[in-house]
Amino acid sequence: MSCGDSLHYWKELARPLAAVLTVGLILPMAAFGGAVACDVPDELMQIDEKLPHLAERLQVNEPVKIVAIGGASTTGLAAGSSDLAYPHRLQEILAGWYPSPPITVVNRGVPRQTAQQMLERFPTDVISEDPVLVIWETGTTDAVRGVGVDDFATTVQTGIDELKSHGIDIILVDMQFSHSTATIIDFEHYLNALHRLGDVNDINVFPRFEVMRYWSEQNVFNFDGVAKNERASLAAKVYECLAKKLAETIRIALR
Amino acid sequence: MPAAQSRDLRLDFFRGLALIFIFIDHIPENILSYFTIQSVQFYDAAEVFIFISGYTAALVYGRILALQGPSYAVARILSRAWQLYVAHIFLFVIFIAEVSYTVITFNNPMYYDEMRVGDFLDEPHVAIGKALLLQFQPTFLDILPLYILLLVIFPVILLGLRLQPLFVLIPSFLLYCVVQIANLSVPAYPEGHVWYFNPLAWQFLFIAGAALGLDRVRGDPGLRFGSAALLLAAIVVAAGFLIKLSWTIHGVWDAFPGLFLKELWPVNKNNLSPVRLVAFFAMLAVVAALVRSDAAFLRLSAAQSLILCGQQSLEIFCLGILLSALGHFALSEYNSGIVIQFVVNLAGILAMCLTAKMIDWYKTMGRTDLSRTVAPKPLGGQS
Repeated sequence: MSCGDSLHYWKELARPLAAVLTVGLILPMAAFGGAVACDVPDELMQIDEKLPHLAERLQVNEPVKIVAIGGASTTGLAAGSSDLAYPHRLQEILAGWYPSPPITVVNRGVPRQTAQQMLERFPTDVISEDPVLVIWETGTTDAVRGVGVDDFATTVQTGIDELKSHGIDIILVDMQFSHSTATIIDFEHYLNALHRLGDVNDINVFPRFEVMRYWSEQNVFNFDGVAKNERASLAAKVYECLAKKLAETIRIALR
Repeated sequence: MPAAQSRDLRLDFFRGLALIFIFIDHIPENILSYFTIQSVQFYDAAEVFIFISGYTAALVYGRILALQGPSYAVARILSRAWQLYVAHIFLFVIFIAEVSYTVITFNNPMYYDEMRVGDFLDEPHVAIGKALLLQFQPTFLDILPLYILLLVIFPVILLGLRLQPLFVLIPSFLLYCVVQIANLSVPAYPEGHVWYFNPLAWQFLFIAGAALGLDRVRGDPGLRFGSAALLLAAIVVAAGFLIKLSWTIHGVWDAFPGLFLKELWPVNKNNLSPVRLVAFFAMLAVVAALVRSDAAFLRLSAAQSLILCGQQSLEIFCLGILLSALGHFALSEYNSGIVIQFVVNLAGILAMCLTAKMIDWYKTMGRTDLSRTVAPKPLGGQS
């Protein structure tokens, strides 16, 4: 049924070590620094694939358009405003790093859509924007609704083929981690499928699930016991960190 | 039919093993799932379970059909389907309870939009009806609906097979082929969803099992293959083993190449891809040739436990599904270290084996109890 993901397996072995490091290093740092630390272990930031079309566009100094297509976490409504969503924050971070040419990140998030429904939006929402990079966040709704994992993989493959045929670079983003959903939804097979798709198509998959799980386990972000009115600002901080990590992913892939 | 009367313990053994594998595979991120059949073959425990279920259904109801006539055989089949249906609804209610609890205690706004899943919490009046019609199949509650549907149509299959096996097998295979080519599926709830185990495809595996089982009732010795066919099957099994093992290793360790990964993956389970079907039949031929029904290992006590699980398959299947949900909950809620994982797996397997033993004891006591009260009565015709 499943083929394990390397991250899951090595995590098991790395867990005791991580615990020691946490107590020894991260906790004292957190006590001193007031700012949010978005740090993750190096193994979660392994970027193997390049972004050739984006690199070329930057090289010739022509305007760059990036489309972020995904679900509720792309719209960013949990943070209270789309300005606090990850695509907007990503645009600001990238603009700081690459002052010219102009970079725009278009937010094409629609909550609760399966990969198939997103694929159907490709002609109007993605291709028509003529982007040079598409960040495709998908899998959550498919896992929640139990869409067949092979069908899911086939759908995402179709999307990848379509984007590639238009000469568009791709970054896939996997699901969000949340402690309470992890107990009732089986994300594993969908995570494995997404990462294997990245593998066979030579594209980067941003391991959001593992990154957020790491933050949750390290208590960097914890929604338990947070008052209702503070949840939105906490969500905004998470999106901020995700944008930062995605921007780093892009920077590394451009090297 | 004295030969057919003695139970073929291989069926019980492999079905019991399949039930244990289903339990293990249904716990996400479970280290032990690297050691189940799916990590080294293209098919998984679901194929084993459905095939053996078809085989034993033909064995049991074929005998009843021969001895007690068609009306009683049909009544027995439908009563079994009803039992399965009730079990499915029971599991469904427990699942609702679990999800409701999680949604109610949910406090993470970042998931809320997507988690409004609770399709049944949004519109319970619709969802309950769909569940009763087997149209609403949350994850893991998808194999019983297939089994129920197959049993409901089983009277027709059984009578047809008895008349002329090819009358049933040929249309069944053609339907399977049409599904592969035209990608037919059976709609489910909510809108746009399909049955996870596509009954139009999976029926072929069940019916193939039933055809072989009915042969057995007729006194045929069982599967026999020429050495050439057997050699071919062995090659398919070995190739499947190497390829799937390379994928499994590749999943853990990137540098290891996944053989034919780009060409073969993903192997569709919903529609029972031919890759899965061929791999399963090849393994079936090899196992039928290598493992005799009087094999010595079947008498080992560990094997006896699995055999008991296989014999009480409905109860143990349901228990396994509940236990894997519980195990998943425990692992993600508290700790998922390797030691805890082994403890959870071991506890689950022990619970399944002990329950099977208890049910077996209960049923045996029921039978002896009955014979004792009946025996003293003077029955003229019997002495």
